[in-house]
Formats: sequence, structure tokens, C-alpha cells
Amino acid sequence: MARRDYTQDYDSIRTFLTEFCQTDENGTKLFKYAQQLVRIAHREQVQMVIELDDVNEYNESLVKVMVQNTRRYVNIFSDVIYELLPTYKEREVAAKDSLDVYIEHRLLMEARNRNQMDQRDERNRFPPELMKRYEVVFKPLSSEKAYSIREVKAQHIGKFVTIRGIVTRSTEVKPMMVVATYTCDRCGSETYQPVNSMTFMPIQECPSDDCRVNKAGGKLYLQTRGSKFIKFQELKIQEHSDQVPVGHIPRTLTIMCRGEATRQAQPGDHVCISGVFLPLMRTGFKQLIAGLLTETFLDAHRIICINKDEQISEKESELTPDELAVLSHEDFYERFASSLAPEIYGHLDVKKALLLLLVGGVDKRPDGMKIRGNINICLMGDPGVAKSQLLGYISRLAVRSQYTTGRGSSGVGLTAAVMKDPLTGEMMLEGGALVLADQGVCCIDEFDKMAESDRVAIHEVMEQQTISIAKAGIMTTLNARVSILAAANPAFGRYNPRRTVEQNIQLPAALLSRFDLLWLIQDKADRENDLRLAKHITFVHSHGKQPPSRTQAIDMNLMRKYIMLCKRKNPIIPTELTDYIVGAYVELRREARNSKDMTFTSARNLLGILRLSTALARLRLSDAVEKNDVAEALRLLEMSKDSLNQIHEHQRGHVPNTSDKIFALVRELAGSSKTVKISDIMERCTTKGYKPDQVDNCIEEYEQLNVWLVNQTKTKVTFI
Amino acid sequence: MPNCSAMTLPNVSKKSGCECEIMEIPLLNLESFLCNENGYLELLQNPTNWQKIPFLNHAPLHELKDLSLVRFRGMIQDMCDPEIYLEKYEVRDKNSGSSRIQQGKYRDCLAVGPHEEADLTSNQNVHGDRRTIFVITVPGLNDWAVSHERSVSEVAIQKPNNEAVNGHGQKRSLDDETENMEVEPEERKTVKRLCNEQSPMRNSGATSDNLLSSEYLLNSPLPDRPSKACMVKLYSDFDKFPLNSIVDVVGFLSVDPALDGSNHQIEDFEEMSEVQAANPPPSLIPRLHAILVKPLDHVNPLLDESLQPVVDLDQTAEVIRKDLHIILTQCLFGDPVAAEFLLLHLISNVFLRTDMQTLGQFSLNICGLPTGHPPGYTTALYDIIQSLLPASHYFPMTLENMNTHQFLPKKDYKTNKLVSGLLQLAPHTHLILDETRLEPGKLENNGVRGVQSLADLIKSQQIKANFEFFEMQYDMNIPVLTLSEGRSMLPCDFQIPLKDQMAGDTFIEETLKAAKHYLEPKLNAIRKYLTTAKLVQFNIDPETTQMIEQDFVDMRKADQRFGPDQLSSLLILARLLAAARGRNMLDKELWNLAKSLQAEQQSRLEQLPKRR
Repeated sequence: MARRDYTQDYDSIRTFLTEFCQTDENGTKLFKYAQQLVRIAHREQVQMVIELDDVNEYNESLVKVMVQNTRRYVNIFSDVIYELLPTYKEREVAAKDSLDVYIEHRLLMEARNRNQMDQRDERNRFPPELMKRYEVVFKPLSSEKAYSIREVKAQHIGKFVTIRGIVTRSTEVKPMMVVATYTCDRCGSETYQPVNSMTFMPIQECPSDDCRVNKAGGKLYLQTRGSKFIKFQELKIQEHSDQVPVGHIPRTLTIMCRGEATRQAQPGDHVCISGVFLPLMRTGFKQLIAGLLTETFLDAHRIICINKDEQISEKESELTPDELAVLSHEDFYERFASSLAPEIYGHLDVKKALLLLLVGGVDKRPDGMKIRGNINICLMGDPGVAKSQLLGYISRLAVRSQYTTGRGSSGVGLTAAVMKDPLTGEMMLEGGALVLADQGVCCIDEFDKMAESDRVAIHEVMEQQTISIAKAGIMTTLNARVSILAAANPAFGRYNPRRTVEQNIQLPAALLSRFDLLWLIQDKADRENDLRLAKHITFVHSHGKQPPSRTQAIDMNLMRKYIMLCKRKNPIIPTELTDYIVGAYVELRREARNSKDMTFTSARNLLGILRLSTALARLRLSDAVEKNDVAEALRLLEMSKDSLNQIHEHQRGHVPNTSDKIFALVRELAGSSKTVKISDIMERCTTKGYKPDQVDNCIEEYEQLNVWLVNQTKTKVTFI
Repeated sequence: MPNCSAMTLPNVSKKSGCECEIMEIPLLNLESFLCNENGYLELLQNPTNWQKIPFLNHAPLHELKDLSLVRFRGMIQDMCDPEIYLEKYEVRDKNSGSSRIQQGKYRDCLAVGPHEEADLTSNQNVHGDRRTIFVITVPGLNDWAVSHERSVSEVAIQKPNNEAVNGHGQKRSLDDETENMEVEPEERKTVKRLCNEQSPMRNSGATSDNLLSSEYLLNSPLPDRPSKACMVKLYSDFDKFPLNSIVDVVGFLSVDPALDGSNHQIEDFEEMSEVQAANPPPSLIPRLHAILVKPLDHVNPLLDESLQPVVDLDQTAEVIRKDLHIILTQCLFGDPVAAEFLLLHLISNVFLRTDMQTLGQFSLNICGLPTGHPPGYTTALYDIIQSLLPASHYFPMTLENMNTHQFLPKKDYKTNKLVSGLLQLAPHTHLILDETRLEPGKLENNGVRGVQSLADLIKSQQIKANFEFFEMQYDMNIPVLTLSEGRSMLPCDFQIPLKDQMAGDTFIEETLKAAKHYLEPKLNAIRKYLTTAKLVQFNIDPETTQMIEQDFVDMRKADQRFGPDQLSSLLILARLLAAARGRNMLDKELWNLAKSLQAEQQSRLEQLPKRR
């Protein structure tokens, strides 16, 4: 490769800095970097961020070499700025610290010296490091992907890379010497020594002409005031658990932060760090062990805490065409739902509900009031119906999640605890599972066995989405914007259909009503189902894998990505749908009054329907809710109620078949009139959870029984 | 070393025939290996060649030379950060000024002559990646396995003054093993001496608090049964071997004292202890530059080709099984059903693992041990079990043990090491929990967590290593046997209460002694049988599958409680019953046997007093 012409780059960087501009919407030109230069010249800004995107726009080949050979280009940029700065100085600058004053004095003195035509000694000249009161850092290209630590290899040495991880350790911020300034005790002249490495050897003998010629042997003394220090901090980051291959240990990497990059992250933070991957030159024994070994570190340019800045994850969540092809299948909704916990057989409706929980509804805050969008689901059922597995799966799939059991959580528990810091003796708050799962899913197993204090707090979490703490003099409210997925065992070992939900689960209605959906998962003997189950289990046992006949489950990472995409949509409910929703709700209330329902229907159900429908619209990546979404939401609600009531009917020994039930619905719909539109029937029935072909069957059956007549175009039914 | 000179090393170069460059494997040095990497690697594919390489697990370190070829067997306990090293570098002669390129692979120190110096700034230098894994000898490896391993590997140690080899390759016959068992105490001495002699610096410094103790550095999961450790440097396949897997490593030994980090002056702000942990004294923890790494699926030395040729079972599995069953019956107060369950437990193995499911584990709880059984009963029972299994560990669940033991591995960010815990065991290491030793009292935080992690292990065969900011799950394959008086407080896959058949509790001690005596001549056959049965490949033919499916539907009709979980465990039971009989197909007869066993177990469980 031909040697790059650095002088040419120098010139082009100068042009870039002075002339790069962006036009805002008003048409005025913004000289992004020139403005910053002005601020730096007046000591109002320290850090100069060079966005590689901007450089890319200006000169593509320059970016390529900047990424490959970052250290050198940081220096070139810094030199260019050094040269440009005086031209941007518009007014006198007030000194900000003692070093400023010091530099000002020396400059004045030098000006005086020059008048006397006294040639200043080369060694005693001010090094540019002392005079530069700014830092140059690069901001990575927005197209650049973050590496995991294990992807950074020897070939990346000297290059600009972005790495994602979790901070495990950080040292205190310490001053690091960049330029050491000495004064001679004989001639009084000053000597400067730029320090580039971690250690340096102080100069002892005065190198100035005076001392050397006269052999005065002047001793040098280090001057703290005239030396330049920068802030320095060392971090250790570790791979996050999702970047580690199964069965391996997460790797760590040392990060050196200087100047403005310090104090950006604390242990426990998820960070995205861009910087230069460099070998660390050691002195002493390390050299001995071989010189063969080189320690490496990342010289940080930019540190972003991911928990604070969602921007990063967006970049990674773009879908490839292949993935889009998978997602654009027709039966996508079913397939996606059945891909949740593929090992668990059946329960498609439950899985659909869980999918909606992951996607979540839309938050609304009209005039300070806050209506949560998160969907809460409670799974109930006899022991051994894979509730815990479902919970475990969801907590692994969700990007942010906490898994805990109502009984087992000790110490910090679910909400938050006030702890005493052993070092400082200060009181501090430590978040429990609900706080840690903020903006995620909190899976609580054995919900019914929860401690009383947690149960009180959970009321607040489930509706207001906050946790209030008033302990040890600390009064505060923490955000807990979580979806709660709970699993509960019946109080008497098995679900007793003769009792109400509250009696069965032993949780107050106030708490149960906060769940948008309550499912009862049952384990019923049914020949056909049993046979399929047996087939499945024996297959797994004899072949050591899942049966192939099932639809291919969607990859977990793809699901995460898609859910992420969905969450960015904020669908609205069009006004023309309100009547339909209101109608459906009124119908629900009426029914609840009339039938001996073991569940309850309240205004919270209406909000639940809205949440579920918006989640469904999100799942279609649509900006508006459609009638079908509402219908599906109503169907899910109906199915969940059914799951609670169905044993009831079973026990009565009087089981109306599907057609009978549909007929009853049609009767009701008809009221006093004799004719009913088939489209109306369809609509009503689908909201009740019946499928169109079942309705068709029913219409046909009853026509044969001569109960009603269907007209030729199959649009109306007339009772006889 | 006894018997060493009698054993001989056949000449390898004769076998491979052609190239005169090829040296005998045990004498291989680094330079000649680098000349012909592929040739030697091919040679190493042959397990008989492995037998001749000195076995670092047992060879005293002072008899091995730096940079000689050795092998090491152990479990991957930790993985360190990747290292960037100089793969090739320029070496310049100070006198003549001429320079050459030196390979940096497979060694820790710069290879420079007395008048040479390395040019670290030369642009001919090439950087490469390598990765260190921390390997410890298999924790809980039982004494018989250790001494057997040693007795067969001793032949391979290269005596410096015994290089003349005579040509009869003779394998140690199995008869010799019994006498070699007695070598065992001597080995302990060797290890001790090794530490005392070779790391005086560490010992003298151990009093000052800023030095890490050798126990900490060795990082053994079972502190009372310390293991040896070795830092293996991998040059390829970094991500191939998961944590806790067992590997056999062949590589070049590196024990240069300069590698010790404890006496170095560090001016940097860096943590002293981290440097020390990364550079332990090589006399304590030698380095090994791997040229070949082989994963192992068991640690039974009797079935290990790289130690000696495997002799086929001369008796059929059925005969051995019956023998073993009789003995176990005697040991379990004459209860044949419980003995059957215990036998199946001994050959259980996780055979399937998907996202959510783990199949094949057979954790067993033998409950209903007669209260007031002779105090030494559980340990005597374990004594018999441990003489059958290559690796196992007995853990008395006393309150003190529960409260003080560290169960899960935990990351120590100060030293950047994964500090091991009791549950970090190699696959197929049996864990025997003695719950009879538990007494009412206060279980502290650590104990509660211990119970929780034991329960996790039993339920899903996974442990969660503590990384402070998050937890990492690791798949395990540890059969757990719990001995208890009442129902165990821990979950289990199978629970079998003992039936009081022999009132003569008093005789149990004699029975156990007699059983041990009776077992003595059959031990090796049983040991081989257990490992083979564990690894058997298994099938169910479609006909049987249909029969089972039909059966399930019927059973479910008869009893609502019979769910998918019960079917699953029944299938595992049937599978193990077949494997125990040396078969790899399931048939109706075995299926019915499994059903009757389950029914018996069920009825016994129902007779147990109900929990309040």
C-alpha cells in the first residue's frame, strides 16, 4: 500500500474543520466545527467531538484511514486545531485555572525575551501538549456495529472500535501528568517534559545553556503548578451474558479513560464504548516475561451508558431481508405465538396473550393522568402444567426481565430496600426485582405466596407503575414501568370450579382485577390430546430432539428484534372504532350481570381491551388499530374468561355444543325481529371466540333442522 | 518410582516409517514440532502414542524439563482473557548484527541466545491471539481411579539417564492394579514435597497478606480434596470447549520461574492481586502450550485407550448387573427395589438438552433410612459407591457445612478469577448428599442459597455462576443421590422409601463389610460396566412407541394424575432399565417392568406419613 500523504490529509482536515457546515430547516448554514473552535478558543469547551459521519460526508477515504490509524489522526486533528485556534479568538479570555494563568505569564515572558533577540533553547520551548487545552475525540460512524469483547482480536490493534459490555470495576479518577515542568535552582529557567507513558523518569540535570556552559550543575525541581495533569480513570468491562456462547466465561477488557471520558460509567452500567484498541507497553518485569506478551486496552473516546440512551440498540435492530421473509408469512401471528416456548405443547391462546405482553400496549398520559400500556397476565393452574417453564421462557426472551418467586425473594425483595453503604455509612436505595425490571417484564412465580408487604406495593406497581418508598428518612418514588407475568397455584392444591377466583387463588379482587388477562391452564384427560402428547414425549425420548413435523420455531434473537421494532410503533385508536368498543364493553358488563360468572368485569376490562388491541396493532407494525384487532382482543378476553368458567359447565354435566351456543347468541342478537344479518352474526360470534367455520356449520345445521332460513345470497337468516 | 525401568517405549519413528526428522513422541521438542506440525499431529491421533507422553497429573514436576512434551487431563475450571503475543519476531545478534525470525508460538519466554536481543519494534513482527484456560484435575476423582491412572502412566516418564530403550512394548496387565493401589499415600507426599521444595518463595511470602494463598490459586471446587491445576494456552478452537468439560491436553510444558508474578515489582496502579492471580508460580501451576486438545466423555481410566488398550467385557452385562444388584440389595437393608433404583441412578446420564428441557437425569432420594441406623452407615454406603465410580463426592449436609461451604462459582473481580464452588464438578461426577446429618437449627443466608442452588441443580441440571452484576447459567451433568430419614427437603426425580425388611439393623455393618469383601475381585468389571452402560446409545422402535402411546392414554383414563411428567419419568426409567441390561432397544417386557417399579414406588410413597 502506498504511504499516505499526511501533509495532504493535514490540509484537507483543515478545510473540513473550517468549512464543514450543515443546513438546518430554516436554510441557515451551521458551521458545526467552526463554532466549536470558537468556544474552545475561549475555553468554554474542552472536548472536540469529530463525528465520523460528517467526515464521511466530506471525504470517504479519509474516514477509512482515520479508523485504521486512529492515534495518528487524533494527533493531526489536534495539531490542526492548535494552528487554527488563534484565528478564532474573538476576545480576551478570562483565565479559568492556575495553568491558564501560568501559560499566559510564560507567553508574555517569551514575548519579552524575543525582543532581546535571545534565542530560546530548543529544549526549553513550550511543548504543544502544555498549550493545548482541549481534547479531540471521534464519534463512530452510525453504521458501525458494536463488537463484543471476544470479537476484538489482534488484528484490531491500533484501530477504532466500538465495544459493548458491562462495567465491572472502576478506579477512582486520578490526575495523570501529561507535561512535567521543572525549574532550575541555579539559572531559574524552566524545562518541560511531555509524558506519554504510564511511567516516566524525571530529569535531574538542567539542560539550559546557562547551566551547561557554566557547568553549574543546576538541579531541577518539579513544579506542580506549571505541570499539566489530566483526569484519568481505568475501567474494566465484561461481556454481557447474551454475548457469551453457551458454557463459556465472559471476557474482560481494560478501558483507559482520559479527560472528559472519565466519570461516565459506574460498575454495573451497560455501556457502549468507542475507542482505540492499543497494546500497552509495560516496563520492568513484563518486558522480561517475554516481551512476547502484550497487554491490550481500549483508549476510550466515547462512553455511552446504554440504559440511558436507547439510540444504540436501534441501530442493531434493523432486520435483514432474510429475516423479513420469515416474518412476512401469512400465519405470522400464530407462528410467532407458537414459537414461544416451543417445548411446551399447545396452549396457543395463552402464548398469544404472552406475545402481546411482550409487545405491550401504548402508554397514554392525557393531562397528567397516566394510563399504563403494559399488559399484566396471571397464569393459574394445577401444579405441573408448565407455568414455570412459560415464565422462565418469557424472562429469557424479554430484553429486560427479572425472574423471581413470590416466596423466595429475600433481602431486597420485590420492591426496594434502603441499605447502608458499608464504606461511607450513607443510606442508599437498592432496587428490587420490580425496579430492576423497569421497562421490561417481571415474572413472579408463586404469586399467591407473596409476602404481605410486597403485595401492598404491587398494587401500586400494577396500576401507577411506580414504587413509593418511605423508609429511613428517604422518601421517594421509583419508576417500575413493568409488565407483570405472574403464576399462581390454587390454594387447595387443585382448582376448585365451585369457588370464585379469589377463593381459589386467595388473592384479593383488587389485585386480581389489575390483571388484564387471567388464564387457568388445565390438565384435562382427552383421548386425542393425550395421544398427541404421548407421541410428542416418546419422540423426544427416542430421538433426542423435538419432532420435526411442527412449524419451525422463529429464532429467539429475531423475535427480540421484531418485538423491539414493534415497541417503537404507537398506534392510535380511530374514532370510528370507539362505538364498537363501547358496545362490546356494555355487552360484557350485561353478560357478567346476567350469568353466574366466576370472574368479574369492571372498567379495567375496557382499558385491558384497549391495551390488547393496541398491542395487536403494534404487532402488525401498524399505526392505527383496526376492527380485527379489537375483535381479537375481545376473543382473547373471552377465552381467558372461558378458561375459568369452563370447568363449571363441565361439572354441571350439561354441555351445550358449539352450535348450540352460537344459536343462543343468534337468538339473543335477533331479539324481537325475525331476520338477522349474517355479517352481524359473524361479528358477534368472533368476539365470543368462535371461528367463522363454526358459525357456518351452525347456520347450516339449524337450516337443516328448519329452525331458520338462509336467503340465496347468504347474507340474512330468517327465523321460521 | 517403582517399576519404571521395566516398562519400555517402542520406537515411534519405525512405525511411521519414512521421515528421519520425525522423532519419538515423548522426546519431541519444540523446534522439530514446529518444522512438521501436521505430521506430528497426525501421529498423535493414535492413542497408543499418547501413552508414551509423560502424564503431568502424576509425574513429579521436577522430573520434567521445561519445554518438554507432556499431557494433562482435567476439567476446565475457568477461562482467562485472551492474550496477544508475538507470533513471530526478529532476533538480532548483538555481535554480528545479523538477524533471524523466531517463532513465538508454544512458549512463554523470548528465545534469545546469550548474544542476541529481540527487536520488539521490528515491522516483521507478527502478533497473534492465544487463550488461556484454567484446567484442574478432575475434582472428586476417586482414589482407585487416581492410582490406576498413575500406575499405567508411570511407564511413560522419561528418565534422563534411561534413554536407551529396549524394544518390547508391554502393557501392564490388569492384575497389577490391586498391588498398585498401595502407592497412593506416596503420591500425597510427592505433591506436598513439590510445593515445599519448588516454591520456597511462595511459602516464605505466605505470611504477608498481599500474597494469594496457594489454595486460592489452585481453586479447587472441593477444598478438602485438592486438585492440581495447570494453565493451558490454546492456539486454536477458542470457543470449542465449554466450562466444566473434561479434556486431555498434549502440549509443551513451561515452568520458567520468571513467570511467577508474586515477586515482581509493579509500579502501576493496577491491582497487585490481579497480576498475581494471572501469573501464579509455575512450580505450583505449570503452563502448558497445547498442541492438541481432546474432549473426553468419561474419566474412567479402565476404559481409556490413551492409557492402555481397552479389554472388552468378558462377562455379559446381565451377569454383572445381577451381581451388583445383589450387593446393593444387601447394602440397602435387603430392599431389591431400592437397589434397582440405586443401580439405575449409577448409570444415569443427561442425554438431551434443549432450551427448556433436560432429559435423562435421574436424581434419586433414598428415604426412610431407619432412624437410629448405625452412625457409620451412610459413610460406609458411600465407601462402596465410591469404589465403583471413577468420580464422586460425599457431602454431609450438616448445618455447619451448609452455612460455610461455597456452592456456586463466583467471579472475583479483584483477581479476575472464577472462584470455584462445590457444585462446579465435571460431568458424571456423582454427588451424594447425606441429609441424615442435618439437625434442626438456623440455616443462614449462605445455607439458604446453598439449598436453592442444590435444588436448581437437581431440577434442571444447571448451575448459575455468580457474576455479581448478572448470573450465567452453565449446563451440568451431575447425578445427585440424597440419603434421608424422612422425605428429603430437596426436590428429586425419583424418590424411593426403604422398606423395613431386615429388622437386624445391627448386622448392617457386618453386611457392608462382607459386601465390600465380596466386591473386591469384581470391582474392575463393575466399574467398566457402569461407565459403558452410561454411554450407551439408545433407541425405541416404532412398534414399542405405539404401544407406549396407547398405554399412556389408557393410564390417563384410569388416573387423572398421570400426566406428561409421569410419562417422561417412566420412559427414563425404562431406558435405564434397558441400558443396565446392556440393550439399546426398549421392549414390552422392560416397559412393564418399569411400570411395576413405578407402581411400587408410588405405593410406598403413599404409605409415607403425609406432610402437614
